Amino acid sequence: MNRVQLETAGDSRNGSRVPFGWRGPLTRAGLPVLSLLAFFAIWQFAAASGVWNETFIPFPSTVWRAFIDLSTVHDGVRGYAGYLLWEHLYMTLRRVLAGVIIGVALGVLLGLIMGSIRWVRSIVEPWLTFLRTLPPLAYFFLLVIWLGIDEAPKVTLLALAALPPTAVATTAAVLAAPVALVEAARALGATRWDVVKDVVVPSALPETFTGVRLAVGMAYSSVVAAELFNGIPGVGGLVKDASNYNNTPVVLVGILAIGISGLIIDGLLRGIERRAAPWRGKV
Amino acid sequence: MKIKRLATIAMIVTAALSGCAIDNSKPDAAKPTVRIAYQADPRGDLVIKNSKWLEEALPDYNIKWTKFDSGADINTAFIAKQVDFGSLGSSPVARGLSAPLNIPYSVAFVLEVAGDNEALVARNGSGIESIADLKGKRVATPFASTAHYSLLAALAQNGVSASDVQLVDLQPQAILAAWERGDIAAAYSWLPTLDQLEKNGKVLITSRQLADTGKPTLVLGAVSNSFAKENPKVVDVWRQQQARALNEIKTDPDVAAKAIAAEIALSPDDVSQQLTKAVFLTPAQEASPEWLGTDGKPGNLADNLETVSQFLADQKQIPAPAPLSVFQNAIYTTGLPDVLTR
Repeated sequence: MNRVQLETAGDSRNGSRVPFGWRGPLTRAGLPVLSLLAFFAIWQFAAASGVWNETFIPFPSTVWRAFIDLSTVHDGVRGYAGYLLWEHLYMTLRRVLAGVIIGVALGVLLGLIMGSIRWVRSIVEPWLTFLRTLPPLAYFFLLVIWLGIDEAPKVTLLALAALPPTAVATTAAVLAAPVALVEAARALGATRWDVVKDVVVPSALPETFTGVRLAVGMAYSSVVAAELFNGIPGVGGLVKDASNYNNTPVVLVGILAIGISGLIIDGLLRGIERRAAPWRGKV
Repeated sequence: MKIKRLATIAMIVTAALSGCAIDNSKPDAAKPTVRIAYQADPRGDLVIKNSKWLEEALPDYNIKWTKFDSGADINTAFIAKQVDFGSLGSSPVARGLSAPLNIPYSVAFVLEVAGDNEALVARNGSGIESIADLKGKRVATPFASTAHYSLLAALAQNGVSASDVQLVDLQPQAILAAWERGDIAAAYSWLPTLDQLEKNGKVLITSRQLADTGKPTLVLGAVSNSFAKENPKVVDVWRQQQARALNEIKTDPDVAAKAIAAEIALSPDDVSQQLTKAVFLTPAQEASPEWLGTDGKPGNLADNLETVSQFLADQKQIPAPAPLSVFQNAIYTTGLPDVLTR
């Protein structure tokens, strides 16, 4: 999936590979817009048909009004639960950023060590797999008991969600470092540290980046769980609170905010990836 | 080749597992099913469930009990047409009957009136002596619950605006954790968590006191309108069993406590103690003008729900309050009061 996306992205830069130069960009821009339009048409139709209760499928216009209400001060009420939508989103992004930085930093470090030293891998791997298979909801209550109800348990949960994918991807990437290159460097007199720095890390970087992107996805999808307790301000808390009141339009606005910001973040990460490891697929 | 074999195995496993879900209720496909949503709090519902009174009284029906954690979830289940009866608090009911939800259900019974089993407690050492002292402090309660409603009502009565207090949305177990750690200064919660809070705190107000000043919180039995229309007999039997449970709680509290204790993880002693703290009406009170009223003459409960709706609108929890007529129409009075004693 990642490869495919990267390849299409690569195509855009040399249009010569596409038989009809103008058709490529048109399809690329046109198809998503078309699918979006079709989606809204079906949505409007489903809501207007009246088959379902409005709590199940509210009108697109209702959701739009909820979005406006959430983003403005109306009748003396500030957004939702006293905070505007961007404030909710900002707090969530802040938590995700903090969690991801901690999780990814520890994950990369752990991955490097696990990939380089066999006995560490044997010790740590079962723990990592154990952690990876746990749904965050299962242990979040423990984090609340241990760390309280403020930022600490939320950031910890997101870091725990981000750590395993990074660590696993980095380990695999380090293990896959070409033996020939490692041995060549050794033969040329490189120390162990030199080999890691000049051979292993560059060759592992592309795959590590994939791990980081997965990690961000994992952290992002744990946001509602992380903001289950005392999550306001926060988009996850907003979604949870609105669903307590069966307030579907606000839930949908929250979901769209999480989804769209997730898309943007992933796009940014892909951009960074292309710049930081342009040799991907070419070694 | 390998992929084909894998796919075959996956298909066989899926088919095998889909055929053996674990379900101890063993519904009889030939009989219609009555679907009941309940919450695991000590009240008549659990007596009926544990003693299998409905199964006995309705041999031609399957009875399916489903446990829910909050009235909000039960509202969702009603909207999805997945339950026929449900027990939920007065604020979820008022919300459900108001726009935009407009859930087509009616109130057929008052299961419980919150008494000393729900209370606002301030933590020792927080320096809080009265509700007015809560300004600027952190107060926890499960949002969208009856306790949340009571907390807002208590604050309003004492001239404290909700925005002056840092309200925190926590479920009872999490309240206890945050309380032990000192993360919150006060909490509005219910038993059994409340017992633990009282050990290390001061009760500021209970729901019984709020009820005396015109803000009672109730647990109501709701029935879906379409179900009631098609199965009026079942609704009658259900109300009779609820009345029987009320009588048993009054006259034979130990037996009732034992039945309830078998359904929730509490000892019979704890349950009987909790039962004494809540207020249970008598069948005669149920059908009095103060509560449900009589056939065709909905009682004061409708006014009560209208007040709640007004309050929820003031708190911006619903866009606008519903008129009194909505709540009067939503009280199921058919056959009252005689049907309860038959």
